[in-house]
Amino acid sequence: MEELFGISMNSIMVALSAIFLAGMAAVVVMGWRNRVMVKLGLRNIPRRRAQTVLIIVGVMLSTVIIAAAFGTGDTISFSIRKATIDSLRNIDEIMLSTRVDASDSFGSPAYVPMGRFAALEADLSGLDIIDGMTPQVAETVPAQNPRTSLSEGQMRVVGLDTSRLAGFKPLALASSSQEVSLLDLASNEVFINEKAAKELEAVAQDEVRVVLEEGPQFFTVRGIVEDGGLAGRDPTIIMPMERAQALFDRPGELNVIVVSNKGDERSGADLSKEVARELRIFFADREVVGQLKVLLAQDSVLAQLQELEKDKDRIDGDARDDLGALIGQLQRTGTSDELIALLSDPEVSGNVLDALGGEEFSDIEVEASTLFDDIGEFSVLEIKRFLLGQADEAGSFVTSFFIIMGMFSIMVGILLIFLIFVMLAASRRSEMGMARAIGAKRSHLVQMFVFEGTAYAVVSAAVGVAVGLLVSSLIIFIANRIFESVAEDFSFVRHFELRSAIVAYCLGMVITFATIAFSAFRVSRLNIVAAVRGLPSPSTATSRGWRYAVQTFLPRVKNPFRFGWRMLLGLRHFNLVGQAGALANLLRTFRSILALPFAVLALLARLVLLPLKQGWLVLIAGVFLIVMGVGRWEHTAPFSIGVSLAVIGLGLILQTLLRRTSLREDRRDRIAFSFMGVFLLVFWLLPFDALESLTGELDSNIEMFFISGISMVGAAVWTVIYNADLILRALTLATSRFGKLRPVMVTAVAYPMSAKFRTGLTLAMFGLVIFTLIVMSVLTGSFGTAIADEDTVTGEWDIDASINFNTPIEDIEEAVAANPGLAIGDFQAMGGFTGFGVDARQVGVEEQRWEGYGVRAADDAFLASTKHKLKLIADGYGETSREAFDWLRSDPTLVVVDAFVVPSRSGGGFDEEGGFKLEGFYYDDETFKAVDIEIREPRTGEIRTFTVIGVLDQLTDAFGEIGGGMIGSKTVLDEALPFALPITTYRFRVAEGVDVAQAAKTLEASFQENGMETTVLTELLQEQADAQRAFNRLLTGFMGLGLMVGIASLGVISLRAVVERRQQIGVLRAIGYRKRMVQLSFLLESSFVALLGIGIGVGLGTILSYNLVTDIQKDVASIRFTVPWLQIGIIIAIAYVFSLVTTFLPARQASEIYPAEALRYE
Amino acid sequence: MSGVGWKEETVLSDLIIAARNVEKTYDTGKVQVHALKGVDLLVPRGEMVAIMGPSGCGKTTLLNCLSGLDEIDSGEVLIENTVLHDLPDDDRSDYRAKRMGFVFQLYNLLPVLSSVENVEMPLLVAGVKPAQARKASMEMLDVVGLVDRAHHLPTELSGGQRQRVTIARALVSEPAIVWADEPTGDLDSETAQEIIDLMTSLNKANGQTFVIVTHSREVGESAHRIVLMRDGQIEDDGLGNGTGNQAARAS
Repeated sequence: MEELFGISMNSIMVALSAIFLAGMAAVVVMGWRNRVMVKLGLRNIPRRRAQTVLIIVGVMLSTVIIAAAFGTGDTISFSIRKATIDSLRNIDEIMLSTRVDASDSFGSPAYVPMGRFAALEADLSGLDIIDGMTPQVAETVPAQNPRTSLSEGQMRVVGLDTSRLAGFKPLALASSSQEVSLLDLASNEVFINEKAAKELEAVAQDEVRVVLEEGPQFFTVRGIVEDGGLAGRDPTIIMPMERAQALFDRPGELNVIVVSNKGDERSGADLSKEVARELRIFFADREVVGQLKVLLAQDSVLAQLQELEKDKDRIDGDARDDLGALIGQLQRTGTSDELIALLSDPEVSGNVLDALGGEEFSDIEVEASTLFDDIGEFSVLEIKRFLLGQADEAGSFVTSFFIIMGMFSIMVGILLIFLIFVMLAASRRSEMGMARAIGAKRSHLVQMFVFEGTAYAVVSAAVGVAVGLLVSSLIIFIANRIFESVAEDFSFVRHFELRSAIVAYCLGMVITFATIAFSAFRVSRLNIVAAVRGLPSPSTATSRGWRYAVQTFLPRVKNPFRFGWRMLLGLRHFNLVGQAGALANLLRTFRSILALPFAVLALLARLVLLPLKQGWLVLIAGVFLIVMGVGRWEHTAPFSIGVSLAVIGLGLILQTLLRRTSLREDRRDRIAFSFMGVFLLVFWLLPFDALESLTGELDSNIEMFFISGISMVGAAVWTVIYNADLILRALTLATSRFGKLRPVMVTAVAYPMSAKFRTGLTLAMFGLVIFTLIVMSVLTGSFGTAIADEDTVTGEWDIDASINFNTPIEDIEEAVAANPGLAIGDFQAMGGFTGFGVDARQVGVEEQRWEGYGVRAADDAFLASTKHKLKLIADGYGETSREAFDWLRSDPTLVVVDAFVVPSRSGGGFDEEGGFKLEGFYYDDETFKAVDIEIREPRTGEIRTFTVIGVLDQLTDAFGEIGGGMIGSKTVLDEALPFALPITTYRFRVAEGVDVAQAAKTLEASFQENGMETTVLTELLQEQADAQRAFNRLLTGFMGLGLMVGIASLGVISLRAVVERRQQIGVLRAIGYRKRMVQLSFLLESSFVALLGIGIGVGLGTILSYNLVTDIQKDVASIRFTVPWLQIGIIIAIAYVFSLVTTFLPARQASEIYPAEALRYE
Repeated sequence: MSGVGWKEETVLSDLIIAARNVEKTYDTGKVQVHALKGVDLLVPRGEMVAIMGPSGCGKTTLLNCLSGLDEIDSGEVLIENTVLHDLPDDDRSDYRAKRMGFVFQLYNLLPVLSSVENVEMPLLVAGVKPAQARKASMEMLDVVGLVDRAHHLPTELSGGQRQRVTIARALVSEPAIVWADEPTGDLDSETAQEIIDLMTSLNKANGQTFVIVTHSREVGESAHRIVLMRDGQIEDDGLGNGTGNQAARAS
């Protein structure tokens, strides 16, 4: 994995390591200067072993999540890389002809004479960045093994030129890795690769039967060769090129050229860009280049290009340099190789077309787009570079995905670290007060904690990385089990890079360290008397105002001058004392100058703190964010954060104003904080579009989940904590009938409510975790309802049957009827289509680039019987989907498109990235006006115009199981292509009472000659739904890691409470509390916090998911808000039971203490 | 009852506390502290007894052992004719809730509960209905003069006020015995006197037995009897028994 969140991993590593090392260096320097505090800090660690272990576990949790995310991403990226290298070996580029004629066929690459290859070979012979280039004949045919009766519908047959294999890994037997040569083959012998051997269960000497248009041919398997490289990854039969040419009746021709770059299997791809450039120059049609140059060298076009080049938001890096070079070339005369290379680079042409947006350039854009596609005789696919790039992208996507999903747990982990240190501080309060009383400075206390915390963090982060790797191994293990059913010959190989370990460690350390520093700072602000006497801390004094800030700042500004002046004075004395004094003053001057920036920071902090506390600065910041969010960035995140800040600001102002009244402090706080809490809650719980009339449409992405979660839970906890006495009163009332339960209940609620900060933290942790789990569960449950809508997905077809394009079926109905093994009456309907790629653009809109798009060219039978649902039907083309499909039958220039090319008002489901897009209407609309699109067959350049009259339901293509793209009648496309368009996919709907699975099997057997492979659509859906469910569970499990943190926190609190309240336990026992009552009191206390947290999480999570689902409903009508009560019940039960278990042990321990002993404890 | 060897003239029904040969050793792992070395003590109902002696002589241990807050190693303790140490822990707890009250030096109020909530706690534990408990507690707070501080948290009270709340809590369930460990230890002399007066007046009014561990001469003087302890033994039980008297007699 090379990048994360778009930043290079190397930079991340360097930056984090620098921060980590700087932090550590600071700690070491501080420690060196103040060894007593180091001793005091570290002394605490071995004192309570159990506590130390608990702390290390608690502190490591954020690191675990980060390391797990990295481990998973690394593994995925490594596995895809490995699969790429294993399948391509030395092959770096593939070249295919872009010129096609009537002799070519659908589905296989176009043929070119060997002469073209020879010329290319001669021309490139001096190029040392290529170490191998070989022509191939490659076709796909159905094949069978008569001995095992197994068949393969899509068997590749590859002919290799035995004289030109230098630079490629030679074929080698799979059994012994012994190299073999095609020259040794007898006239009817072939090699097959491992995959082919597996599919056909073939062994050496088996006869393999391949079906060609002219009839079957038999070959003897000489041996089985290793997969990959020239032998391919798909099932492949390998023979000498001449025989393949003869077999497919293409004497003296080839249709694929593969290239190996200098270097080994891995490093070869590094040269890919350079090699591709050379190849493109060679193949470029100079005439087309000339035309393009004339077109683009116009002043107006150049101006557009220059404008794009200047815009760093739209273009950067290599792409920008290339564009600059192109502008330079266009301004010169003649067509240089450089210009050709630039113009034939797809990335450059893409940017040129981007620059030509706008109506006044649309003609030029149309022309340029066409010319760009005509430049090369061959297209050069940088296949390895592309796939390796994809591997990296997949890895960093997965890592960022898991990090975002783990964000809640990381957040909760941070809260736990904070909580742990707050508790540690509480337990050492009197000790610290004592230390302060005998002269320790506040900074000493901070240092003491920082030393201790650093010791924990250093160990925890290391343990965390190790545990994180274990977690990622578990994730990979489960993912492999999930993918087993979907992709049988791909599995993830566990892999972890040192760089990721370093990043995870440093990140974990930095997070922990920052949290520790913050909590240490907070802890150090104790009131000495209160601490020593064990009294509750008086409320923090209000900020001392600006005057104090300035007063403390001024002397520090004066210092350098003061010491400098003294130094000068000292210099006047020409004796040793005077000189020494001057030197000392010089040092002081330096030191005070160095201290100046910190003094400025402190001044700023003090100056900002007061208006922050009084609220109006917060309010201003909030309003600023609201204005910017709505007006400028048009994004939900700044807007929502702005509103929240504004509410908090108003609350603080209210608190400041209330200070002037005679209200008691706790009442003031309650009013102010309840105001904030309630308003924040209301704001965050509003349906997403509730404010749309005010704000207009705002963008939002996944981080909003995180932001809204934190805000909602925070607001809820805030409200609950400041109104705790109401809960207390209600509970006391409720339990007043239960005799002995009552005193227990009173203490169980009174304790957590008196430690507001601690309880609030725990509540927030618990609430957050439960919240995320609930949202995940409800969302996956609700999406499950959408998947369950099978008919929409399948169009009510039962069986999908693909056949080999080289062996088409003339008329499927006739063929079924004629086949003795099949009864036509078993099938209610059947129809077929062919999916293939074209270029497309919408007529009459600004964007005029040709973009890749898919076509499903259907026969009349398919159009007549499909029951696919249309979400939108254009005005004038009927009311029902059936009517619209009938329109398609009667007019072959009409088509319906898939949902993914139609934008949605809410942004859901609409793929923002590239590709063909329609404009002028939205998926969420009720209806639309038909629009025209142009379709270009890429190999012939033939253009046809179609009218879009409908949009398929989003679910139709949710599984990509019927390909993608528009559906139209095949008639027009037949005309546009130089060769016959065979049907490659059939759909069958079986008659009532017929066993679908059996029918599928019979079909496959009956059309073996055509390479038919069938799938029962409902089974496919089921498999995919199962895989998705399993994946969701995996994700829920990953997010559940946070639950461990929440539970651990309750354990920490209980453990602490038992120690803190020993004496009070003695009192209670003296008063007559039974052992069990003490136990129960602790359990009830934990229950109270846990249940309150669970309640907050479940409530908020359910409402947020309801809002989410209602929002999604606009796009996916079939989705229903479903609460998976069982799963939620299990989550709640786990959370509750485990929190009780962690409390039970300390509670039991507490109840076992003798009252006299407990009373003795101080 | 002669089997246990009580003096024949003692009228057992009048005794509320009877301890014989009570031994207690603390084992801290490193050192063994022989805290009680065969203590005998009899307290008749309604008496106010002060246990005095130098620090570390075993006063608090004796109080804890007599009241059942701590286990004894050997010997016998009868409280209201019940061998407390033979009772299961739950029954002992219930007994404490119904028949005993405790006052400690460090006030020992629950910091998270208000005065009245602290006072009513023993009643609630004993199963008294909340409304009734609240009423009784308010009356008790009235007796100790703190009804206006009923809803304040302990941290909002002065030392003397806190001790008065503790006394109110000890007495609210109308216990037979009130155990007090250094009730005036943390108070200035004026406040201490108030507390002593309060206890003596309550003792007089209700006839409850008070066992008070104290260093304070004033407290001792207000008691009916002073039991002097030294080195884990009773030097003088104020009735002519004890090691000191034996020594005197021997000489």
